[in-house]
Amino acid sequence: MPEEDPDFQIAPMIDILLVLLIFFMTISSTQVLQSNEQVKLPVAAKAKDPKEGEGDGSAIINIVWVPLGNAGQITYNELTVTDAAGIVAPLRDAISKSPKIRVIIRADRQAPYSFVRPVLVAVGQAGSSNITFSVINKDDN
Amino acid sequence: MGGSVGSEDGDVGFQIAPMVDVVFVLLLFFMAMAGAQTSELELSINLPGGASADRTAPKSTPIIIDINPDDSIVVNGKTFDSPSTKNLVQLQAWLTETMKMFGKSDPVIIRPAMETAQERIIDVLNAAAAAGVSNLSFG
Repeated sequence: MPEEDPDFQIAPMIDILLVLLIFFMTISSTQVLQSNEQVKLPVAAKAKDPKEGEGDGSAIINIVWVPLGNAGQITYNELTVTDAAGIVAPLRDAISKSPKIRVIIRADRQAPYSFVRPVLVAVGQAGSSNITFSVINKDDN
Repeated sequence: MGGSVGSEDGDVGFQIAPMVDVVFVLLLFFMAMAGAQTSELELSINLPGGASADRTAPKSTPIIIDINPDDSIVVNGKTFDSPSTKNLVQLQAWLTETMKMFGKSDPVIIRPAMETAQERIIDVLNAAAAAGVSNLSFG
């Protein structure tokens, strides 16, 4: 084939499109993994990105609050309790195994301090002083 | 593109144009999703809890931020912002100034009322984080 026009190259374009596609697919699926949908996190604009990979991993405590029943639930791993004292023992185990563990509290935005405070106390009793509150950067509804 | 779809020899071959179409639609979809996505962020505090609580005496005068049951924020008898504002500009400005004067190691203690919603506590934490407070705890 002599003297053919260098026409539109489709193969490199597909390469680039696929790379972009994979990029956007990965960034939109990383966040969904560990969230508990019952918890509506409070909004804070100035919060920092999570410091992944630092220390000894993280222990995530979900605090669900149902305003109608005026009652809450605390979930740590698969354990669900209504009294914060119940998570002291398993937390202490986790903390003794990895002392630098980050305790992440995912508390509902409507949970009152009277319900969140015992959780803070429980984490303190379990021997960690490194507490992090989860927030979202903007309202999602 | 793709003018000779059904050629006479029956050998259709791999059609690249529809594939590009589909990939393009998928790409647009995920790009749009990425813009609307809410990501989970963090606010850290140092809890004066557990074993270390009683041993560490406060080195310097702590700043105590009270959150009253009506969501108003009071420090040293002075009220900051109004109970309905979410972005605590006054508190943040005051904290920034205080941190500049006395150093960032001064402990800041947040003392919410029992009925304070988590959202209000996070507002205060947010202002403190923006002011660069490093030694935060709860009272």
